[in-house]
Amino acid sequence: MAGDRSIRLANVSKTFVARGERFTALDDVALECEPGSFTALIGPSGCGKSTLLRLALRLDQPDAGEIRIGGLTPKQATASGDTGVAFQDSALLPWRSVESNIALPLDVIGKPRTDFAKRIAELIQLVGLTGFEKSLPGELSGGMRQRASIARALVTSPGVLFLDEPFGALDQILRRQMNIELQRIWSESQATTLLVTHGIDEAVFLADRVVVMQSKPGRIATVIKVPFQRPRRKELFTEPAFHALNDVVTTALHGT
Amino acid sequence: MMARHAWFRNLLIILVLWEIAGRLELVASGALPAPSVILIKLWADRADYPPHVLATLQSSILGFVIGNAIAIAAGVVFVLSPLALRLARGVNIAIFALPPIAISPVLVLTLSGMTPRVVLAALGCYFATMTATVLGLTQADARSLDVVRAYGGGRWAQMRLVQLRSALPSILGGFRIAAPNAVLGAILAEFGGGGRYGLGTYLLGSLGRADPPRLWGIGLMATLIAGLAYAVFAVIGNRVAGASRAVTVPTGAPLSQASEAAATRLAIAIAAVIVPLVLWWLLLKALNVPEMIAKSPTGIIDYLFVAGSAESAQQRLIAALAETLPITIIGLLAGLAFAFLLALLIDVAPEVARSLMPIALVTQTMPLVALTPLLVLLLGRGTAVTLWITISVTFFPSFVTIAQGIMLVPRAALEVPRAYGASKLKELRFVAIPASLPYLFAAMRLAVPRALLGVMIAEWLATGKGLGNLLNQSRGYLDYGMIWTVAVVAVLVAIAFYQIVIIAERLTLARLGMRTAE
Repeated sequence: MAGDRSIRLANVSKTFVARGERFTALDDVALECEPGSFTALIGPSGCGKSTLLRLALRLDQPDAGEIRIGGLTPKQATASGDTGVAFQDSALLPWRSVESNIALPLDVIGKPRTDFAKRIAELIQLVGLTGFEKSLPGELSGGMRQRASIARALVTSPGVLFLDEPFGALDQILRRQMNIELQRIWSESQATTLLVTHGIDEAVFLADRVVVMQSKPGRIATVIKVPFQRPRRKELFTEPAFHALNDVVTTALHGT
Repeated sequence: MMARHAWFRNLLIILVLWEIAGRLELVASGALPAPSVILIKLWADRADYPPHVLATLQSSILGFVIGNAIAIAAGVVFVLSPLALRLARGVNIAIFALPPIAISPVLVLTLSGMTPRVVLAALGCYFATMTATVLGLTQADARSLDVVRAYGGGRWAQMRLVQLRSALPSILGGFRIAAPNAVLGAILAEFGGGGRYGLGTYLLGSLGRADPPRLWGIGLMATLIAGLAYAVFAVIGNRVAGASRAVTVPTGAPLSQASEAAATRLAIAIAAVIVPLVLWWLLLKALNVPEMIAKSPTGIIDYLFVAGSAESAQQRLIAALAETLPITIIGLLAGLAFAFLLALLIDVAPEVARSLMPIALVTQTMPLVALTPLLVLLLGRGTAVTLWITISVTFFPSFVTIAQGIMLVPRAALEVPRAYGASKLKELRFVAIPASLPYLFAAMRLAVPRALLGVMIAEWLATGKGLGNLLNQSRGYLDYGMIWTVAVVAVLVAIAFYQIVIIAERLTLARLGMRTAE
């Protein structure tokens, strides 16, 4: 991918047909993410934020428009391991150990696991799962599973990281801890990141800019820049400026 | 722990009562021997058993292996290609619905040696394992599949890395049902003749003598083998299930894409009907059996409508159907009604229903052929015996299916009416009964072929009426045309019943906005 780690969507549209009714998930959406940037997508359910991410990962096909990841098509980018992904539910394979789950992308794109033994060990340390390498997902707590799935997303050293509500299933307290950790992991990986979330404070805390979407049809309403310096500390959660920006996002979400 | 305790206690009570009834010859003047007498007879006959047990085991194990291998391969193909699944629909339903006893003589005619037994055992396994495989493969966690796809993984990578492994508990569940079916299939094929040994052969040979303890002994032995086979896969299944329980939230079904043209749908449906006929014709060609013995589809039409004896054949067939069909329907409905009512008890009187569950599970593994001679001993050779056999073969599997469905109703759903002070009866009306409807239909689908099989076995072995008897008679007269006709008609009747249930199920559940239960 050599340097260019941008995400670019141009004129992307996607319509679903459910029970004979057409449902416009995305209507002529354009979005560009600079290399190394952190973008949060936020919006009401049905605004197409997850669809957008699924199109970029080639889990669905767009009806119209062009998607490029580091100049490559989603097909080329995903198959070469240039992208990483973590979902809301950790989606770990229950019969594989933590270690083996993290190695799953390698099995898919056909790279020998042995070459990555060191990388896997580093990632396990990075996400704080040392000592649980051989554990099965069923033996881990929700937060630990989520860390494992983030480590899995990073195993190919992707230039672009897609996160689909990765902490959506966690409680608010654990979620904030994970936000702080994610920032640390992100700054070490330097990956261009697209985060889909329904947590306003999560979006503001983590992102360089918050993209607010609206539904019927799914579209981008506004883009709000987040000026806070990095690394952001947990104290930021209580600062007035942080709350003020949260309110800006909230107002934008109301669409008035 | 308590439940296990109660179950042992109940068993002990039953055994003691049975012993007393047997000793005093209370039931049908000695047709129900005491358990101790049966065991003593079993011991006295011990030299007879090994060759019979061995022969049955051999063909059932071979059939089990072959049938399941084909079933798993077919399941994988069906999941990879939905078109293949739709084309094979006719074959699949025919294999599911066909009463093994109806095609047993046909197999004996066209195949030689042990092959009919192996084939019937394999056929008994196919449907259970094939559906379990398809279900297991398609129910793999959608998010896990997304992860593989997100790295460019294709259909085969998804199959290899996620689906096959996550289907394992389901496939083992299929094996659990297939194992007793294999034993049953082997025994039923032994009824059709060919070979000196086998529990079925032994049973037929002993039927003529007035020796209830021996018949009970053979029944016990057959049940034991089937039950052991069931238990082995139940244990393995539990081991495996522990490690593969999904740890993620299942996501909703994907939105459907544009539907295809009606013409395409019709063409596929017609092809699905033609495929079994073509297979039948090809198999006969491949086996190279003389045309006089092995009838092709056209041969049967010729026999039934064109040949000189066609009219007499039609009359005999219609008379047999007039006997078999009503009793099948009555037995089926009665068995289902009992099962439904008893399953509702789970909501009203959980203890009673729960203590019935182990008994129901045990009888599910019991090869029903083993049951028939015993019921004949108890009830004589009249129509009553047919009815009771039909009810008993449909009742237990239906009860298990419906009861498990009712147990799946979320507690919270039951508590909503209760929170408004509803009586037990209202709770049933508003929650338990509607919630169990999909399972009632699932039970009906299961019970339909079993009912027909039960009736035909009873007719063959006991009453001397109906389709089962016509089949047995035609065997004696070497009336090949009729043997084939009965086999085909029995399969068609089973398929027709099955389709009626499917249509009723779709209409009812669609109206209620519910989904089909598997």
